Amino acid sequence: MFKPGRIGVALVTSATLLTACGSEDAGGDDELVLWHYESPDSAMGIAWNEAIEEFERTHEGVTVRFEEKGFEQIQKNAQMVLNSDEAPDIMEYNKGNATAGLLSKQGLLTDMSAEASERGWDDMLSPSLQTTCKYDERGVMGGEKWVGVPNYAEYAMVYYNKDLFARHGVAVPTTLDQLTSAMDTFVDKGVTPLAVGGKEYPAQQLFYQLVLSKADSGWINDFHRYTGDVDFHDEAWTYGAETFADWVDRGYLSKDATGIDAEGMGLSFMAGDYPMMISGSWWYGRLKNEIKAFEWDSFLFPSDFTLGSSGNLWVVPENSPNKELAYDFIDITMKKANQDLLGNSGGVPVAADTEAISDEKNRTLIDNYQTLVERDGLAYYPDWPVPGYYDVLVSATQKLINGTASPEEVLDELAAPYEENLANVGS
Amino acid sequence: MRHNPSTHRTVTSGERDANQPQVRDQAALSRPKPANRKKFGEAGQRQLVLVVLVVAAVVTLFPFLLVAMNAVKSPAEYAARGPLGLPDGLYLDGIANFWERVDFGLKLANSTVIAGSVAVLAVAVSVLTAYALGIGRIRGRLWIVAIFLLANLMPQEALVYPLYYLAKQVGLYDTQLAVIIIFTAIQSAFGTYLLTSVLATFPREIIEAAKIDGASRWQVLWRVVVPISWPTLSVLLVFFFIWTWNEFFIPMIMLVSNDTQTVPVALGVLQGQRLMDATAQSASALLGILPAVVFFLIFQRTLTRGIAVGAIK
Repeated sequence: MFKPGRIGVALVTSATLLTACGSEDAGGDDELVLWHYESPDSAMGIAWNEAIEEFERTHEGVTVRFEEKGFEQIQKNAQMVLNSDEAPDIMEYNKGNATAGLLSKQGLLTDMSAEASERGWDDMLSPSLQTTCKYDERGVMGGEKWVGVPNYAEYAMVYYNKDLFARHGVAVPTTLDQLTSAMDTFVDKGVTPLAVGGKEYPAQQLFYQLVLSKADSGWINDFHRYTGDVDFHDEAWTYGAETFADWVDRGYLSKDATGIDAEGMGLSFMAGDYPMMISGSWWYGRLKNEIKAFEWDSFLFPSDFTLGSSGNLWVVPENSPNKELAYDFIDITMKKANQDLLGNSGGVPVAADTEAISDEKNRTLIDNYQTLVERDGLAYYPDWPVPGYYDVLVSATQKLINGTASPEEVLDELAAPYEENLANVGS
Repeated sequence: MRHNPSTHRTVTSGERDANQPQVRDQAALSRPKPANRKKFGEAGQRQLVLVVLVVAAVVTLFPFLLVAMNAVKSPAEYAARGPLGLPDGLYLDGIANFWERVDFGLKLANSTVIAGSVAVLAVAVSVLTAYALGIGRIRGRLWIVAIFLLANLMPQEALVYPLYYLAKQVGLYDTQLAVIIIFTAIQSAFGTYLLTSVLATFPREIIEAAKIDGASRWQVLWRVVVPISWPTLSVLLVFFFIWTWNEFFIPMIMLVSNDTQTVPVALGVLQGQRLMDATAQSASALLGILPAVVFFLIFQRTLTRGIAVGAIK
């Protein structure tokens, strides 16, 4: 016989009891609440974990309450959380106008300008890294107000399969011409040279990289910081779109790439199916751990500018009750010991000391980064200037790969949302 | 496992191709004996149905098997042979690491508490409202039911900001109680709609008889209507539990602290900005669906029993 009453009462009672003891309040001044979304075995995860320990060593009586968050959760939630009492004392947040810039404009993030100069963070960060730390009152990057501080950086490079290069007698290219003739050699031998994913960021990053090979720093500022007119049919854009379409025609990348996501691209490179993959330093640690069957290495794309920027930022919410502790924590992650650990774990520290990096592969990664920093060659990512531009770029590059739209038409498609957004910047 | 829908498709169609020639062969074998044609025709039909069912079962179970297979693969194996390669052996570190990393036991308890309370409360609320609307036949009930249905069709994204402000005002932001209240309202909107139409066809004679025996309204509900509609109620209970268990968006918004979070929100930790750890994600997906499957299997039995009891009466 059924007894709905008893089951129901039991469930509700237990629920209420558990709920009552489930919620807790944010900590007082003996607790630093820290949120980030890097996985524990990534370079940042390792270095920041160590920073937590050092913080607790140097701050007696203060414990760090670390909560690992999902990327999506922070992206969707940040504005609501920071506007409440549940805000953490310090958290990792994405750089860019639509993220850190927007929150800063809404007054949810603390202005750290004084700390940045007092603690010397401004001297450790190169100009192109600082651009993504500082925002103006419109929330546009490159302003005056320090909103966040990154302790790592990221950039795009060409990963290549040394075994396949040797088997087909191809040398590591140092110019764009050498790169294309290397790819011709592979195509002649029936090998598709580039692993590309057209369903996510990889294809648009390749497209932007080609655009960048005809761009200069003024062009990049105009595009990202709205400092001047952006003409989507200028030399750089036209060259990028036409070359991309040309590369598809020549078979440098597969027409099937439209249906492949970033993970699929990485897997096919790790399986040894493609000689080259153009993507970011975020792959580095994973390739290092998971490729066992062949030798690989990386080189910079032959161009003055390449995709890259500071990593995500440490931001201090305006509602944080423990701002001084948060600054202390940032300071620890900027110190040499933590920077070296980050580098040795396969990350790109902002203030790297190559001497202190023992692993050869990690040193290549950091050496190449230093080369980029010296020529101030970080040019950010193409989807930054316009909210929702990522999907526009995915669709545009898919059309280029499929050949369903001409380069001219694709550039028109990119121009429309950009100009629409330009009218709204800062409002 | 949304990263390889295309592989699902190719493999399942491959299964079908592999199976169908067999059917044809067997049909051909049965032909030379005309005396038994009818019998063999029936047997052939049965086998065809069996094959179709097997194919359907494989198609349905394939994603689950894929998740299970990748969950016990080491990342290096996954990188070398992709999602479809067979694992060399059992690699359980992925599952163990994930369990520890997100404190999965706590998330299980949280999800159970939330989904369990919502299921019970939403069914209780639905019964009360549907009693008034379906049996009590109050005025304007059609409109009320229509409004409930409309509320049910509202996308959650549209509800989030108002709910966030309300929860903050009453001090329930970042508590499980907020999520329980929200989902009790959402689920009971659907429950009211469904139960109202079920109770509208409730035999009036039974209610009349109970009233003649001197039962009050409350007694009619508790002693007559609820026991007789129990099969429907228990189905609702199971559905509410599973639906609430799988909810992601509102729990993600409302439950900020890690120690109040639910299972689906915890699974989100593994999806990074640009990278995802496929094997760990499979491990977490496996852990995430198992409780709902177990819950369903347990209640499957009480469900059928409930229906049988109702039928005999």
